[in-house]
Amino acid sequence: MSESLETILQDARLLVTCGPGGVGKTTTAAALGIAAARRGRRVVVMTVDPARRLADALGIDLDARSYDPVEVVGATDGAGGGSLWAVMLDAEATFDRMIIARSTDKKTADAVLSNRVYRGIAGSLAGAQDYMAIERLHQLNASGVWDLIIVDTPPSRDAIDLLEAPDRLVRFLGHPIYRALTMPSRSFAKVTNAGTSAFLWIVRRLAGPRIVEETIEFFRSLSGMEEGLRRRAADVSVLLRSEHASFILVSSPRAEAIAESTFLANGLLDGDFSLDGVVVNLVHPMPPPLSGLADIAEGPLAEQIAYHAELTALAQSERDEMAELIALADGVAVAELPLLEVDVHDVTGLVRLADMLVGA
Amino acid sequence: MKPSWVSDAHVVIVAGKGGVGSSTVAAALAVVAARDGADVLLIAVDGRPGLGPLLGGRPLDREEQTMCSRGKTGRVRGRTIPAQQAFSDYLELKGINGVLRKAASAASLDSIAAATPGLEHLLVLGKIKELERDRAADLIIVDAPPAGHAGSFMRSASALQEVVASGPVRTQADEVAEMIADRARCQGLLVTLAEETPVNEVIELAYDLEDRLGLALGPLIVNSCWPDRDGMCMSLTAAAKAQSVKLTPAQKSALQASADFGRVRLEGQRHQLERLSELLPLPRILLPRIPTARFGPAELELLADALSTEPSSAPSATSAK
Repeated sequence: MSESLETILQDARLLVTCGPGGVGKTTTAAALGIAAARRGRRVVVMTVDPARRLADALGIDLDARSYDPVEVVGATDGAGGGSLWAVMLDAEATFDRMIIARSTDKKTADAVLSNRVYRGIAGSLAGAQDYMAIERLHQLNASGVWDLIIVDTPPSRDAIDLLEAPDRLVRFLGHPIYRALTMPSRSFAKVTNAGTSAFLWIVRRLAGPRIVEETIEFFRSLSGMEEGLRRRAADVSVLLRSEHASFILVSSPRAEAIAESTFLANGLLDGDFSLDGVVVNLVHPMPPPLSGLADIAEGPLAEQIAYHAELTALAQSERDEMAELIALADGVAVAELPLLEVDVHDVTGLVRLADMLVGA
Repeated sequence: MKPSWVSDAHVVIVAGKGGVGSSTVAAALAVVAARDGADVLLIAVDGRPGLGPLLGGRPLDREEQTMCSRGKTGRVRGRTIPAQQAFSDYLELKGINGVLRKAASAASLDSIAAATPGLEHLLVLGKIKELERDRAADLIIVDAPPAGHAGSFMRSASALQEVVASGPVRTQADEVAEMIADRARCQGLLVTLAEETPVNEVIELAYDLEDRLGLALGPLIVNSCWPDRDGMCMSLTAAAKAQSVKLTPAQKSALQASADFGRVRLEGQRHQLERLSELLPLPRILLPRIPTARFGPAELELLADALSTEPSSAPSATSAK
């Protein structure tokens, strides 16, 4: 079973981890990265929102983010020539850089960068993060530096949003409203397209005239960048569906996580993405069975017996739930990771997980 | 009886990092209030449909349903609020109808929201605010999107106040911000696990919501705590000796395996509860870990029982139970 995870780690150029929140997706992505790096590959893990402690373990400074990937110290033993690098997606910085790089002059760039609509979109909008993940993925892929890029997606349903972002962006850029907004007409009064004027009318009704002006200004300033955006989004859409890309579903053994994972797995299949592996993380260990001792009702020993019974019940219940997911994942690599006594918080812990995933 | 910590606010927003069980806690709280005779409306923002069956109804959707009843007046109703629906409701409310509304729908929420960041969340909060104003229920419980998103969901009103100077969106944002900051109308209930990352994130979320938005927070709910048994600290040999029990080798290895694991996890749990005491001055309620991977109505009743207790008002490092 782990043979095919082994193959994926050797051959894939792009690995995408998806799953519900709180199942250790980023940790698993990092462990997969370590496993691939230890097989001699030059690997970068791009995460969207790592927990602080994991970010620390990966050498990502959340307060002073580096735009470029940083090398994860201690990920490999130096033999084999592989290495692991980590980078956190900074949607705002990616967007800013794109604007600066594609603007004809500094004045144009500054106009966009100070536009309130732009700031709102670049800074906070969830959609912007998806689009910028595409940009960043495209940059990393085009750099030619990496043997393997691992993308750690945001939790669950958002993952599908992220994966469909390239297609959505291409659609949006082809939308009549977008085309009308970026028409080289002097003012939006000349916009005759019914849908567009309705759109602008509603934005004005809802948010006031200044937002309308800035919206038009923003879209118009983007117009020179449209072709590049569209091309890169189309490239990424192809890459995500190519034979070089593998998707790994990460879940916990809890029923609600498995229900979400199932939803997600179907979403991946519907989107023509290739689901190649399932990792069930945080599985409670099953203690050996205990017989006798039923008559001990109190005292410290009774408490240890009670704990044994609870742990056994929980572990059994988790295995029952997992069976469903494993049946669903027919024919793909399945790996199980135990809930550890101490949560993973450093590179040593990640190396340990990597060995559990695919063997040393 | 309704525990005293449930305030008289009409809206309780339940939030926590993904995977900590905040939806289940929201459902258990609904049961607690219904047991007390309240007419409860449970709103799942992210539309987690599984909450419906957990409360004895069909999967949640935008159509309101009554999921269960308690006593003469207590009942739990439930629904989701998809952003798209909140948007069309809003257009209707603002008298935007006919051709223009069709055009707006064709333009799609996506592109309008793209022009007005945070609008989607604001529309959903705005809908909740209207339900509150209309007294649609004795208690409205909101299952917020998981943290990460809970922050931006709750902040959408204040973020829009910064961008939008006038117009209906501004009014809406003002009214939502006002409701969130009014402790007589709105209370926040944060859920976490006694584990490192959930603890870090709930602390961040608590300060964010309280300081920046003025949301009054109820007790912190620490979900899935293993019972803190003193006997777990004793070595197996000592425990058996203390009770003059002779264990077979098979019994020994079985108990040793579970106790070794349990002891370390329990130490970790105590350590995290201590950190919470130091870093987050909120009273708290510990919910027991129920040893199953699948929650059903019976487990929900157990959680509701545990939620009905009074919180430990001054958490101290030793009162981990």
